[in-house]
Amino acid sequence: MAFDMTMALFRPALKYAMEKNGHGKTLGLKMTEINRGEINLVFPYKEEVVGNPLTGVVHGGVIVSLLDTACGSAAMTVLKTPAVAPTMDLRLDYMHPAEPNKPIYVEAKVYRQTSNVIFCRGLAWQEDKENPIAHCVANFMKVDSKSINFSAIAVTQLRRLMPWGRRATSDKESDK
Amino acid sequence: MSAEQTKHQLEDWQESVAAARLEKCPQSVMEMIPYAAFIGAQAKIENDRLLYRLDKRATNIGNPSLPAIHGGVIGGFLELSAAIEIIYSLDIATVPKVVDFSLDYLRAGRYKTIYAKCNILRQGKKLVNVTASAWQDDENTPIATARCHFLI
Repeated sequence: MAFDMTMALFRPALKYAMEKNGHGKTLGLKMTEINRGEINLVFPYKEEVVGNPLTGVVHGGVIVSLLDTACGSAAMTVLKTPAVAPTMDLRLDYMHPAEPNKPIYVEAKVYRQTSNVIFCRGLAWQEDKENPIAHCVANFMKVDSKSINFSAIAVTQLRRLMPWGRRATSDKESDK
Repeated sequence: MSAEQTKHQLEDWQESVAAARLEKCPQSVMEMIPYAAFIGAQAKIENDRLLYRLDKRATNIGNPSLPAIHGGVIGGFLELSAAIEIIYSLDIATVPKVVDFSLDYLRAGRYKTIYAKCNILRQGKKLVNVTASAWQDDENTPIATARCHFLI
């Protein structure tokens, strides 16, 4: 395959945006592979995200977050200039519950794109990819949005490190 | 884990749910699920219906440059709300298992409180169908709607 300059630049930026910010950072997911139209990530088991306290199975919401992140990122990579593609809808089928204390692997692929829509498929599994825990389809809009402002992300991140800037992004302030 | 322990846990669970219903406090059901604390979801009763609320949190952001709430968090919040709706309002013995979940994003979730309401459309012997809708400013302009099936 020819060297893809856009992807070479976009890969670390996307990895940074997803792993070191907001919910991706909170979940602790790691992007293991980033290619055009294809994303792989891994999520280590965490006790904080248990949905069924009787069995220790992670909540379905985590699977939604993982697949949404993976599919959304995969959709971004197929654009000429990588930009945010808003999610139209997402459908998830849970094949069987995730086993506690084991990492969850996620793969997302863009299987079709038209002038307006990007169609994605995602799969989540633990030990056996042939026996997945969940399968999802997600569609994204192609809009003429500005390309992602990575410098703004870096600024937000830096501001969080500064004691005087922390107040602006802190979640402690109330919105009343 | 032994069968005995599992049975005890299930009994404890049922007791706590029954107590929450008696006190009309859906929040205590919410607190039994660790994921609720992870995203910061809350529940209360308003006009005889359950109202769910997700306050803004830096850890729930998906797109930091807007900033917007992560789509997955909105999905997780709606799925959690649907589960709480079932646990709290239906007389079932265990934690419902989600089978499928379908989510439509209508607007971007801005960095402020999200509210949600659920509707149980059908309860069968094994399967329950629930819809959930999330909004920020106005209930009539939802940011996302979801539909899910649970096995009970």
